[in-house]
Amino acid sequence: MIRNDAGDSTPALRTDHLGRRYGRVWGLRDCTLEVPAGAIAAVVGPNGAGKTTLLEMIIGLLQPTEGQLSVFGETSHAPMAARLARVSYVAQDHPLYRDFSVADMFHLGRAMNPSWDQELAVARMDALSIPLKRKVKSLSGGQRSQVSLTMALAKRAPLLVLDEPVSSLDPVARLEFMREVIAAAAGTGLTVLIASHVVSELERLCDWLIVLTGGHVQLAGPADDLIAAHQLLTVPRATPDAELPGVTIHRTDSDRHSTVLVRADPVRLAVQQRPGWRADPVGFEQLVMAYLQRPPQAAARDDTAQAARPGPTTKAVTR
Amino acid sequence: MIWVSWRQHRSQAIACLGLLAALAVYAILLGTSMRTAFGQDGLVTCLARSHGTGCPAGIQAFTNRFGSEVNVAFWSVLLILPGLIGVLVGGPLIARELEYGTWRLAWSQTVTRARWLTVKLGLVTGGIIVLGAAMTALIMWYRAPMDRLTGRFLPNIYDFEGLVLTAYILCAFGFAVLAGLLIRRSIPAMVAAFIPWLAIRLVVEFLLRPHFEAPLTFNQVCPQNGACYGGIGLGTLPPVTGHIGDWVLSQGPGQASAANTYLYQPADRFWTFQSIEAGIFVALTAAALGATIWLLHRRAA
Repeated sequence: MIRNDAGDSTPALRTDHLGRRYGRVWGLRDCTLEVPAGAIAAVVGPNGAGKTTLLEMIIGLLQPTEGQLSVFGETSHAPMAARLARVSYVAQDHPLYRDFSVADMFHLGRAMNPSWDQELAVARMDALSIPLKRKVKSLSGGQRSQVSLTMALAKRAPLLVLDEPVSSLDPVARLEFMREVIAAAAGTGLTVLIASHVVSELERLCDWLIVLTGGHVQLAGPADDLIAAHQLLTVPRATPDAELPGVTIHRTDSDRHSTVLVRADPVRLAVQQRPGWRADPVGFEQLVMAYLQRPPQAAARDDTAQAARPGPTTKAVTR
Repeated sequence: MIWVSWRQHRSQAIACLGLLAALAVYAILLGTSMRTAFGQDGLVTCLARSHGTGCPAGIQAFTNRFGSEVNVAFWSVLLILPGLIGVLVGGPLIARELEYGTWRLAWSQTVTRARWLTVKLGLVTGGIIVLGAAMTALIMWYRAPMDRLTGRFLPNIYDFEGLVLTAYILCAFGFAVLAGLLIRRSIPAMVAAFIPWLAIRLVVEFLLRPHFEAPLTFNQVCPQNGACYGGIGLGTLPPVTGHIGDWVLSQGPGQASAANTYLYQPADRFWTFQSIEAGIFVALTAAALGATIWLLHRRAA
């Protein structure tokens, strides 16, 4: 599933206890992650979860308060120009200079990036029938997002970071935007990091999943492995959490039954199958939603719990 | 980066050129007629002969005719012009990027933000220096005849000649760039930069400028039975020292041999004073721009 067949073991992104404080409030804390080269990773979380903080530290727009960060081996202590060359960024709301024409924007891209690919930029605008002479302010929201994406792609950096790229777009523009991202990533080995709170858009697209809430990493790893590591149990209503196999992530109690999403320990699951219990696989969106509804502190508790018990933790599932 | 800076400041540059063109038309029209009148009134020979004391009537006639062109009220309003130019150019330089979110675009390209800022500041500062120098040259040229009668220490003259005009614009610009980074919004940044600029400008003009160098003393000896020619202040032509352009600051107590004692700054200190004052404002500019570069660098890098 991960297409990094070059034998290059340097991950696209690695963070180690990364944290950023704003005054007294931590925007992100204890963030330890690894994303392999070539992955398309979703960073999911509600607003204020620390997504933008994480992204801006990856790009170099923000300096970490604590911890380590490296992008293709370049740490946050490397010269700024070296770091900037490895990441391209599509910021939230697709900022562009309103009084520039599309051609002016590309001229800016060429002037500010030695690796700029003007042919690619022009060809993309051609394919999307966006005239180069058109001023940015007269473009539609969808077209603006495409110009932003094109600017990022033409920078030819190995990591593409997108911050809420579709939240301001209508459904048709969302589809078109995501289709362009998939097409750009396909076969080029480009690593993509997409932050979003729109979960449904990401399911088909992403093979790596990072869930953030309240400044903490709730879940991180290859999407398929994470899905396989969780089970949706239907059990009699009275069953306490302690009797369930694995860690309870989310629980819904109805009149007679409880539906519990657990991070399952397969061995215990097999042993503890009981009459009246049912185990179902979980879906991507279900899994993400369950983690989004967990209190942020639960992530920290898990870390201590998992240290004692083998299970599919963040570190264990990285390749 | 040069292209980027030019593209972003193009409209400001055009507006400044427009301002300069308007000033040029005004200066050429007035300057020509002043020169003609100056020759016709015989002031050239009078000045050469008696250093201005011999023809008070001629001087009076000329200053009455053209006085409004170096009119105190008019130029006092224009006193704020360098500040306005400076804050209008400097305020949006960073604040606009922060207001519209385009900083995320500008600072995530391969060019580092430190370089982005240095190139931009370098080019805009260069543009301001060219603009300031051109404005000063035009003003000094058209007013040259009048300056020969009044000297150049009158505030409404001093503030628009020599080096200070450019330094005033630079200072307001530097303050506005820094305010833009701190306040993150263009218009509040312009206001926040303009107020201290004006305050410093007035303090320097009224409190510091008279004391850039220790004033000289002039002992006036009055004729035995005549009225003593008197009056101090810049408006008196020629001043009590008898030398056009001397800046008489105050009247001191009369001493035994002299009727009156005056403190004054001699006319030939003009360029020294201009250099000192321009130095103050350029130093303030450098401090503000240096702080901006340091703060922007510290924000992340």
